Amino acid sequence: MRDPYSVLGVSQNASDEEIKKAYRELARKYHPDNYQNNPLADLAEEKMKEINEAYEAITKQRSGGSYQSSTGYSGGQGSYSSASRNPTYARVRSMINAGDLGTAERLLNEVPQRDGEWYFLSGSIAYSRGWLDEATQNYARAVQMDPGNMEYRQAYAMMQQRAGGYRPYGYTNTMDSMDCCTTLLCLNCLCGGGRC
Amino acid sequence: MFGYVRPVRPELKCRDFDLYRATYCGLCRCLRHRYGPIAPMLLNFDFTFLALLLWPAEPSFTPCSGRCHANPLIHKPMCPNSPALELAADESIILAWWKLRDTVGDEGVWKGLPARMLSTVLRPSYRKAARLRPEFDRTVRICLGELNRLEREKCASIDRTADTFARILQAAAPEEGTLGRVLSQMLYHLGRWIYLLDARDDLQEDIQRGRYNPLILRYGSQGGGQEFENTLSHSLELVGAAFQLGEFGCRAALLENIIYLGLPLVQRAVFDGSWIQIKKQKIWSNRE
Repeated sequence: MRDPYSVLGVSQNASDEEIKKAYRELARKYHPDNYQNNPLADLAEEKMKEINEAYEAITKQRSGGSYQSSTGYSGGQGSYSSASRNPTYARVRSMINAGDLGTAERLLNEVPQRDGEWYFLSGSIAYSRGWLDEATQNYARAVQMDPGNMEYRQAYAMMQQRAGGYRPYGYTNTMDSMDCCTTLLCLNCLCGGGRC
Repeated sequence: MFGYVRPVRPELKCRDFDLYRATYCGLCRCLRHRYGPIAPMLLNFDFTFLALLLWPAEPSFTPCSGRCHANPLIHKPMCPNSPALELAADESIILAWWKLRDTVGDEGVWKGLPARMLSTVLRPSYRKAARLRPEFDRTVRICLGELNRLEREKCASIDRTADTFARILQAAAPEEGTLGRVLSQMLYHLGRWIYLLDARDDLQEDIQRGRYNPLILRYGSQGGGQEFENTLSHSLELVGAAFQLGEFGCRAALLENIIYLGLPLVQRAVFDGSWIQIKKQKIWSNRE
């Protein structure tokens, strides 16, 4: 296992507070919410596990071994948990989770009836591909056909309200909170209007 | 090529600025050494970004010095030659060549003349690059062919048309190992963003000339608005999410500047129309 301090990017003699801060920043970065339905979700989960272990190891070490693991974000993957009644849909879901989008799409196209779940899964395949516009349209269709389903509504809401995802420390809010003058100033800078 | 992918200078640390310029100059030198004096004309910010991405992670960076192509009397700090620069140089030649062929095909005899002449000049360079990177050459040819077909069919899906260009960019990095997966995702979403932003930039002109533009068919002549901006920002978010999973060593801070500040600002500039002035300017010129 790698040195837990280097995993968190802190020095050996960092204070408890610094370690906690570093841990929180990393946990925010690799949080499963940022990788929902993302083909790289497994990598994020690995990272999350690594920093959880490192944080736990350091805390344990510092408390003289009496530490009880209580913190730590669980790496609950953003994959589909709810089981489908339709066996084909269940297979499509496991195909999407496994990253086999081609097979998932083929299976889905063989389904004769297009209900809410069909559009939802179709949207999920599109999303995993990066086809965000088609994903939004399909999710919207799913919600329209089955307005009571929380899973579809959540997926659709995720496309509508852009939370902005993770931004590294120092890049947070920089652009969103700017008034139009500052924006213009910045745009000028983009190209190096000012003197170096 | 497009020049959309650039850093925001005032937010760069001096060492990151130096690193960026050294990479840009290094790519210029690499193009000149491999493809002769005309090739540095194809130098651009987008491929500088690609070179930065492809560079294996290292903890620190020391530039070497090289003679400037634009002004041979002065020496500039440059990145040492590396496989990353060579790959970026070869790929920029291949992509530029196919884009030129595309323009020749689209325009008439007279209007297509400059592109035809330039592609004649570039032909030997292209042949060399295509020999060195046959896979990338094949992907570009296939994807641009698909894009042409979609344009003829007047495809109304912005995702499907953008997909062709996104796949080209995706093919620019070797898809091996964890880093390969990360790069492949980053470049796909970046490619989608570049294609769609370019479509937005061309919107007015395409409407006037009655040319195909997926945004007109998808959103009408207003070209989207908030909904469209959302989908672009979402692509950028996915670029960032993938980026966070890779190791980039001393280049991480510079890449972060480009991804989290440069790209959103360029997007905003294209939407509010100020991009026309911005795109002509150099990042490092001391003059306005």
